[in-house]
Amino acid sequence: MGKAFDPMLIIEFIPTLIHYLGVTLQILVVSILLGLIIGIAAAIPRLFKIPILNQLVILYVSFIRGTPILIQLFLVFYGLPAVLMFVNIDISRMEAIYFVIVTYAISNGAGFAEIFRGAIRAVDLGQTEAAYSVGMTSSQNFFRIVLPQAIRIAFPNMANSVIGSLKDTSLAFTIGVMDMMGRGDTLIASTAHALEVYISLSVIYYVIVILLEKLFRLSEKHFNRHLTVDVALAG
Amino acid sequence: MTIDIPFIWVAFKEIIRALPITLILTIIPLLVGFLIGIVVALVRVYKVKMFYRVANGYVSFFRGTPIIMHIMLIYFGFPLFIDQLSAKFDLGIQSNSIPIILFVLTALSLAAGAYLSEIIRSGIISVSTGQMEAAYSVGMNKFQAMIRIILPQALAQSIPNFTNITIGFLHTSSIAFLVSQKELTGAANIVASTNLKFLEAFIAAGFIYWGLTILVEGLSFLLERKATAYNRGGVS
Repeated sequence: MGKAFDPMLIIEFIPTLIHYLGVTLQILVVSILLGLIIGIAAAIPRLFKIPILNQLVILYVSFIRGTPILIQLFLVFYGLPAVLMFVNIDISRMEAIYFVIVTYAISNGAGFAEIFRGAIRAVDLGQTEAAYSVGMTSSQNFFRIVLPQAIRIAFPNMANSVIGSLKDTSLAFTIGVMDMMGRGDTLIASTAHALEVYISLSVIYYVIVILLEKLFRLSEKHFNRHLTVDVALAG
Repeated sequence: MTIDIPFIWVAFKEIIRALPITLILTIIPLLVGFLIGIVVALVRVYKVKMFYRVANGYVSFFRGTPIIMHIMLIYFGFPLFIDQLSAKFDLGIQSNSIPIILFVLTALSLAAGAYLSEIIRSGIISVSTGQMEAAYSVGMNKFQAMIRIILPQALAQSIPNFTNITIGFLHTSSIAFLVSQKELTGAANIVASTNLKFLEAFIAAGFIYWGLTILVEGLSFLLERKATAYNRGGVS
């Protein structure tokens, strides 16, 4: 800081920072995909009340819900190498971005598990009964009847999760990842125009969030297109 | 690198001394944000001319950008602004005499206001219009109906959302450590780097946050039962 505020710099910084948007999106996309897998795996013991695994998942979800993402990030960053040391795997030289992806995948997984569980519970039991009454097996019922409806119910929550996750990636720089925020930090160090850098970063995050929201709203409309028919028939 | 389990307890005792600052950074933004939230929600529900657009922009921006941005923008922007004002009007206020925590509190309060306004707004919308009509029919005016009938129900229904926001802001207060506040995460960082025991310190901090979260969840469960007692369903 210490230098006069220069609005022109805001525009000047944006292209430099956007250059690192790819890293931010990479963290986001990979951690969401991994989070989906973890979320499905974690939701199953909860739904079918598999003993021990059920309690473990409850503990996992409670811990993730109970601690800040920043603490989780530090725990993985300092903890994972220590844990893997026991099985003689040395990852202390691994790049910081992998720790970030692992943390966000674990964090997203817990959120997704709860969303899936809630969504599947929210599908009317009458649907399952109807499926059985027309002779479907339990897996046919699950994949053809329950799951499609559950996805529709889960979608708005998933969308919020993804946007929340994008905003959380702004903390990855704390363990030294060179994403947009990390690049912003180095820009501040070299130009001493902190405020301008943060305004540029805010603009970029804001635009991406708005684009994502638009995209999700369109997809939601697409998912719910069969409902408009119902409404038309009803009245 | 091995894990020094007894040190977790040592770190725990050291870190928990920073709890008051975390609580300040959580509770004050939520209280200020609640006031902002009610005003903004009412402006948006009633589509008050002019203010309506400002309120929309405010909520959209603060919900659309990471909270660390709000903290940094205010942390770097306000001093510039204050110094310029001070120089222009010869106020004699120097920005570096203002404690950093005030900037953090301002940023978090503005963010909380945006999030809370959305919760309050959806709460107000969810109260059926019949309630408003009933209030009018017994001779209440718009203001009375809002304060006595609509808001209490809207707020009671929003308790689960308030809980989530409270937990969210408890966790968000950890970002304040990036502007060198000695709250729980900041304290953990100091304990970690002075003893070179990073994992142990953050495990201890993690347990403190976890415990606080469970406490908040428990309290909110009790509160919800009390606040929605009017709406238990069944026969009365």
